[in-house]
Amino acid sequence: MFLEINQIKKGFGEGESRVEVLKGIDVSIEKGEICVLLGPSGSGKSTLLNIIGGIDSADSGYIAINGEKTADMNEKQLSLYRRKHLGYVFQMYNLIPNLNIKENVEVGAYLSSNPLDVDELLHTLGLYEHRHKLPNQLSGGQQQRTAIGRAIVKNPDILLCDEPTGALDYKTSKEILKLIEDVNKKYGNTVVMVTHNDAIQNMADRVIKLRDGMIRKNFVNTNKISATELDW
Amino acid sequence: MRNPLIKRLPRELKADAGKYLVLFIFIAGMISIISGFLVAGTSMSASYDESFEKYNIEDGNFELAWEADEGLLTELEKEAVTVYKNFYVEEETKEIDSTLRVFINREEVNKVCLMEGEMPESAAEIAIDRLYASNNGIGVGDTLTVGNTSFTVSGTVALSDYSCLYQSTSDMIFDATLFGVAVVTEEGFEALGDAHLHYSYSWKYDKAPAGDAQAKEMAEAFLEVLAQKAIVMNFIPRYVNQAIVFAGNDIGRDGVFVMILLYIVMAIIAFVFAITTNNTIAKEAAVIGTLRASGYTKGELVVHYLTMPMLVTLLSALVGNVLGYTVMEDFASGMYYNSYCLPTYVVLWNASAFVKTTVVPLIIMFFINLLILVKKLQLSPLRFIRRDLSTKKKKKAFRLNTGIKIMTRFRLRVIFQNMPNYITIIVGMFFANTIMLFGSGMEPLMDHYQEEITSNMISEYQYLLKVPAETQTENAEKFSAQGMKTIEGRLRSEDITVYGIVQDSLYIDLDVSGNKVYISNAYAEKHGIEEGDTFTIKESYGDTEYSFKVEGIYYYPAGLAVFMEDTYFKEVFDVEEESFTGYFSNEEITDIDKVYIASEITEEDLTKTSRQMKLSMGGMMFIFQAFGIVMFMLIIYLLSKIIIEKNAQSISMTKILGYSSGEINSLYIRTTTVVVIASLLLTLPVVNFLMEYIMFMAFSEYAGFLPYYVPMKVFVENILLGIGAYAVIAFFQTRRVKKVPMDMALKNVE
Repeated sequence: MFLEINQIKKGFGEGESRVEVLKGIDVSIEKGEICVLLGPSGSGKSTLLNIIGGIDSADSGYIAINGEKTADMNEKQLSLYRRKHLGYVFQMYNLIPNLNIKENVEVGAYLSSNPLDVDELLHTLGLYEHRHKLPNQLSGGQQQRTAIGRAIVKNPDILLCDEPTGALDYKTSKEILKLIEDVNKKYGNTVVMVTHNDAIQNMADRVIKLRDGMIRKNFVNTNKISATELDW
Repeated sequence: MRNPLIKRLPRELKADAGKYLVLFIFIAGMISIISGFLVAGTSMSASYDESFEKYNIEDGNFELAWEADEGLLTELEKEAVTVYKNFYVEEETKEIDSTLRVFINREEVNKVCLMEGEMPESAAEIAIDRLYASNNGIGVGDTLTVGNTSFTVSGTVALSDYSCLYQSTSDMIFDATLFGVAVVTEEGFEALGDAHLHYSYSWKYDKAPAGDAQAKEMAEAFLEVLAQKAIVMNFIPRYVNQAIVFAGNDIGRDGVFVMILLYIVMAIIAFVFAITTNNTIAKEAAVIGTLRASGYTKGELVVHYLTMPMLVTLLSALVGNVLGYTVMEDFASGMYYNSYCLPTYVVLWNASAFVKTTVVPLIIMFFINLLILVKKLQLSPLRFIRRDLSTKKKKKAFRLNTGIKIMTRFRLRVIFQNMPNYITIIVGMFFANTIMLFGSGMEPLMDHYQEEITSNMISEYQYLLKVPAETQTENAEKFSAQGMKTIEGRLRSEDITVYGIVQDSLYIDLDVSGNKVYISNAYAEKHGIEEGDTFTIKESYGDTEYSFKVEGIYYYPAGLAVFMEDTYFKEVFDVEEESFTGYFSNEEITDIDKVYIASEITEEDLTKTSRQMKLSMGGMMFIFQAFGIVMFMLIIYLLSKIIIEKNAQSISMTKILGYSSGEINSLYIRTTTVVVIASLLLTLPVVNFLMEYIMFMAFSEYAGFLPYYVPMKVFVENILLGIGAYAVIAFFQTRRVKKVPMDMALKNVE
């Protein structure tokens, strides 16, 4: 088992206003899988992703990557854990405005002792000719590509994507999903993607549906299709 | 791989060039001035310290009523001292209104440093003090008539025992305009005659004292022997001789004051930087969150955000030091040369100045920014991603009475939102105001002192006689006087004059009958003595102490003085009944031979303090004023800029909603206006109090008393200057508000 999510519980607030967001999540994800976490707003999917990413903590339960439990780690070890194992992509691209596209990708490369070749990756991302531009000179899709580049250039074990197409149009969204799929194929990273778009589950190896903090469905997608074939 | 975030730094510098340039100029300017002063001060101090040996400066001097014969000198030298004849003639000069003390060129003790021209070689030549010459516009080759003897100025010199031109060690301050020193040849000295000849002698111990305490003991022992063998008119051991020690003490004293100022200003600038960085962090919160989520450590980000303030400070300090060693060193030495008659010196590399002006500011910048950054960046990556940067646990909106108009409530919210900025503005303004007040208040303070003294003089003329002599001058009133010393306590011991006056005096309106004793307000205020208190003074050259109860305070700001009835005076000090010391008179006394007059105190003598202080501090005061105003503008500019940047989206939104420019300005600029004006007004009493304390501490080192006084006009001027400076900044900020685009609110919808 590569990524083990065991009895994760998480709540916010206190007393009467306390809301249990995750009510005991158990999931196992294999290495190299694309796992899609589906669910409506407030279902707890982003919270779960953040706990996997070590940027939020669970009230109980644990996350283990290759048997290494994040709950046992202090802040410094968590930083190292993220540095070594994780790549993050958010709905908003969060690029550094005064660094150009290549430099933004290099910001990710810096974190790894064995990063991917930045220029080659920029070719893969279709950004090579834009590499000297600043983020605000690119479209939303191109900026998100850069954000993906920054996340995967350190060749992380797990790529965590929180609504990566949430701010993009249909065509661009499909391009981004295709890119994630290509990256997964080429580099073999495990992808955990949060979305509320049902259609995206069709490109996943594993689909986990959340509602009210609980897993409603957890299944291996036997009818996986390419991102280019997705439609919604 | 080098951290790619480094590449942001030059771009940030370029993008915010105005801000960094202003900070750079300010810090570099401040450091260059301070470094210049420290380098010049230390180099001059070193040269001053060396001068004791180089010029064989005396361990003390004394004046006798008559010339000592060989027998006396031999007797004195048994006390393990070498005595040198150092006679002088003190005469008025004809071409300029001044008193010149003329010595024979010294070859053994208190040797002379030639600054310009030649040493006198003939009886008709004279070399005068450089500063005295420059203050009076006398150059080499000019003619100067001393008494009735004319000389040609052959050169300018620095006398090693007159690095500071104190005519008397009891003078509150030196006076390098109305008093000077000079050297002539032996023949030239003879030509001056002996009407005003002073039988002055210098002495050197065979074994130099280890410190002031030992010097005091040795001087007291020597005086005891001397007083038994001769009539001592004056006795000044080196450690109390202001003409020798004042410059050395003062050069170092300036350094401490200036360093404290530098560190306070650096701390304020560090806070300004920290607030600027906080603002950047708030803007870049999501990016920081993403970087942290990707594995960037807190330390890496702290280092990143710390680099810019450190870089700017380092560059400023280095450039400041280079300027300090070159341009400012000349300026600073010029200022010292403007006050002191120092010998020539060489500029020395000053490691301590470098540490003080470069390393310490960097440390201040480092720790203040580190502290604030560590606190700011301790939030979890998730909080950054969510832009939830409040460090308080509960975010509760501050309730405002809904009865208050919405625009007022809006403004109050802006103030609450920007509290750290406004607090820094208030603190910065407080210091800027103090510096400005120091600069602008000094001249009126001196003027006031001068006015107080002149309008409260006992009489137009005060004569001190060598021996009692009668006059027919109408209304000339006899008095007795005795020079005494205050007891060392919180303040060091200093000279005080005890006057014995007649009951119903024409000049001093006091009821001194029945052994009543009054003190001058200068003594009362400086030493904290009140009516009814008992005070103790002691003999200048002896150990006998005298205690008196204060009947009242007499308004006499010119000096430390005690007043009592003449008969009581004679009883206390065991003086013969017929004896007296001098005259108070509103008319010049012309019927007493000048040979009998020891000194004549006029308005000019009493006002020399203010004149000299204005002269030597004038240039410095302008720097303080300019520095204060620049600091004031810089802080307001940077912090109000942040407030506008922080609220750019809201400003954009209010524009979309249809608010007019005036209304938007009233929300975001008027708030700063209110804070600036309020802090200008509210900090003023504290500034005034602080200034009074600083002045008291600064002038407690000087003999005499300088009452603190800043006229209302100066406060009003300071406030108006502050408002004027703010208006300039507000103008730029209004333009900045105008430039905020309307689509900003629509674009940044994250």
